[in-house]
Amino acid sequence: MKMQFAQICDLVETEPIRDSDIDRGALVGNWINSNPDTTSITRVNVYEADGKLQLQAFAVGPDGPIDWGTTTADVFAAGPASRTGAGFAATFDLGFADVRLQAMIMKGLLVLAQFHLFKDDSGRDSYFLREYYAKTHDLF
Amino acid sequence: MTTNADKLLGRWFNTNHETRGIAECKVTRDGDGISVSIIGVGEDGPIQWPTARATLLANLEEEAGQRTNALLTTFDLGFMRAETHMRINKGVFVIVLFVTFLDDSGRANYLNREFFYRQP
Repeated sequence: MKMQFAQICDLVETEPIRDSDIDRGALVGNWINSNPDTTSITRVNVYEADGKLQLQAFAVGPDGPIDWGTTTADVFAAGPASRTGAGFAATFDLGFADVRLQAMIMKGLLVLAQFHLFKDDSGRDSYFLREYYAKTHDLF
Repeated sequence: MTTNADKLLGRWFNTNHETRGIAECKVTRDGDGISVSIIGVGEDGPIQWPTARATLLANLEEEAGQRTNALLTTFDLGFMRAETHMRINKGVFVIVLFVTFLDDSGRANYLNREFFYRQP
């Protein structure tokens, strides 16, 4: 069967690449927001468990960090024939809001696009935010 | 919807004339919402993607420098899904794609970013 594509860069011949074949080394780690004045996510812990990429996020709260808990992320490579992990996407369901995250590695930084989608009756506008995170070797 | 969304409307062309990805993107009003249409580069000519509705979000990123909007849109092409976000940064329209293949082609899911200028 002819390979389907919607852009010619996707017309590639490759040995089958499974999720587990993608190198997540650049993604795994403890990431700290480069903006000390952020009012959003301050830290993201990215790790592997049971072959899946897991995220734990902490956001700024009035009385200290708010632990958003853990969610599973989908891993994305640098191209359709690549085995190099270049980013991930995940959703935190906070009950009153869904926060969709799209992350990519750029120049050693984790660039995190955040989509805060309110689903309560607060009347707040959903919003987009994009912040930069540096990998630290220190544990939280 | 705020009028800032108007800044996103229009036809946007890839700054890379040799792209093998998205050639063009059109953002239009669709009733009380916004729709996005994409044309991909094909083997024998352009490939029209199915038009998709966008979620409009206030763009609070610091570097935006002003109150603007961003779009979150997912294109379902059957054999693949492309979750995208789009925004304007310093006059350049930026599309970030997270492509997931739903067929058995063995291709890796991947991400890509491309830059577009407004049709003069």
